[in-house]
Amino acid sequence: MRSRQVETALPETDPLTADWTELEESLSTDKPWLVIVWNDPINLMSFVTFVFQKLFGYSKEKATKLMLDVHHKGRAVVSSGTRERAELDVYRLHEYGLWATMEPST
Amino acid sequence: MSAPIKRRRDGRYAIKLDPSVRAVLVTMSEQLAPILSPSEPMTRRLFPPAYAGDDQQAAENDYRNLVDSALVNHHQEAFAVMAATAQADILTESELDAWLSAVGSLRLVLGTRLDVSEEMEVPDPEDPTAPEYALYELLGQLQYLMIEVLAAGLPDEGRPDGAL
Repeated sequence: MRSRQVETALPETDPLTADWTELEESLSTDKPWLVIVWNDPINLMSFVTFVFQKLFGYSKEKATKLMLDVHHKGRAVVSSGTRERAELDVYRLHEYGLWATMEPST
Repeated sequence: MSAPIKRRRDGRYAIKLDPSVRAVLVTMSEQLAPILSPSEPMTRRLFPPAYAGDDQQAAENDYRNLVDSALVNHHQEAFAVMAATAQADILTESELDAWLSAVGSLRLVLGTRLDVSEEMEVPDPEDPTAPEYALYELLGQLQYLMIEVLAAGLPDEGRPDGAL
């Protein structure tokens, strides 16, 4: 059984409830990486939409909008995150034959 | 006539295709699977760059070393599944996923060979590329049918983890 003294001291020192925001931000000073899908004349529009829904769990509406951006603007940012995360997403898109690259955000 | 590809109540898929279409899928899979490689011009398109910038060559080399054998395995596995199940009347969802991947790869290889562009016109029947283009169109139709049934199984509203 804990003493009253320990209980009152806890909120200040318990690492699980302390505010770690500052440290977390200092850890992630790297800018996020962007995953970009480029337009290509071979992959079907419905295929590209399907892959965005399936891989990223996007709604049909969002996946369709991204596909149309790729189609009309030539490219679209489809996800972003740490470099490792971006590389994994690029790989998964490459498995489906989509023309995906990654670059650091500016 | 019923649809060529249909989702059954048990979650599997009924496939009704002409034997000649099935034969094409087997032949093309068996031709491509053994030569699949990023250094083979015919299959180069299946290994797109991850880092496209001129100053990112080192990162691109690292990426290639990391993924190329996995990508080769992925495509070979899809071709193997499609060739093995090409005559089947019923496919599981994972088999149909493999077909989708394999047919997509075949289209990419053919489309690259034909130098397909969005403005491209259908070649004349006498054109030497006409048979290959017809095959490319056939694969596109097949892919479209597969996407229709597979997409129907995805929630329109997306997955909870999919919201940005």
